[in-house]
Amino acid sequence: MIATLTQTTPWTDVFKTTKGAVYQSDEERCWYVDFAGKVAKFDHRCLLKLRKAVYHIDIEQALLNTTKDPDVEIIFICACDHCYVLTLVQIIALKELLEGTFVMLELNHILHDKLYA
Amino acid sequence: MKDLLRIKSLISTEIESLLNQQIKKEAYSSSVYLSMASWCNRNGYDFSADYFFKQAEEERTHQLKFFKYVLDMGGNSVSPDVTGIKQEYNSFREVFEEALDQEISVTNSIKNIYARCMKEQDFVTMEFLNWFLKEQREEEYKARRALELFEVIGEEGTGRWQIDKHVGDIKYNSEA
Ligand SMILES: [Fe+2]
Ligand SMILES: [Fe+2]
Repeated sequence: MIATLTQTTPWTDVFKTTKGAVYQSDEERCWYVDFAGKVAKFDHRCLLKLRKAVYHIDIEQALLNTTKDPDVEIIFICACDHCYVLTLVQIIALKELLEGTFVMLELNHILHDKLYA
Repeated sequence: MKDLLRIKSLISTEIESLLNQQIKKEAYSSSVYLSMASWCNRNGYDFSADYFFKQAEEERTHQLKFFKYVLDMGGNSVSPDVTGIKQEYNSFREVFEEALDQEISVTNSIKNIYARCMKEQDFVTMEFLNWFLKEQREEEYKARRALELFEVIGEEGTGRWQIDKHVGDIKYNSEA
């Protein structure tokens, strides 16, 4: 597991919830996801892959699942350095964090389109 | 804050995923045409078999056009799984009916991507799609013409043999 990273470049807040936060580093052209006790660095491809992986988890199905397996999901993203082992509650929180993040990135895109075009 | 997603890719993730669906559709079309070519060949319709071999190749080039466009724009092209290709047809006519259905569904799906581009004002992808809109005009025309042969010539007697012969001559030359 990758150790928590420390900040070396200026970060901009993208989105925050009570469970986590996402920051952007313009200089490094990447994002830092602070969630489940660690801060992990994601480039553009990996962030999209993380979103895809999290959105693909069928939360409703997992809640209805009555088998005795622990309610844990492992999110492993191919070609990225990170792996998350999360409970259902954490997955819901991560999904909320990512949804907010992408809304903010979309908003930022609209601002760039309107202001700097 | 920089617009990092835009820096990496000209197309939005939504357009990218629609284009990937289209890549799959074109690959599927190519395989269906190949299966139609096989059926026609096995049943003695040589001209139609040739016609479908050519169509299969065309669909493959369509697939690659989309595939390379997505990559060129900074996106991720996904090599598609193609499954569930029908191998048997009940009649000569059914082959052409399904060929037309398939082209209609491709036209619709390209219109659907175009609509999404308009919403996002993605003029670059719209311009790219223009080629395909024109191509669909030809594709639907040819498929419809082939079906019309069944009406004009009729299937009785040596009808199907005649129809097969004429399928090879179908061409679309529009000035418009
Ligand atoms: Fe096509
Ligand atoms: Fe076609």
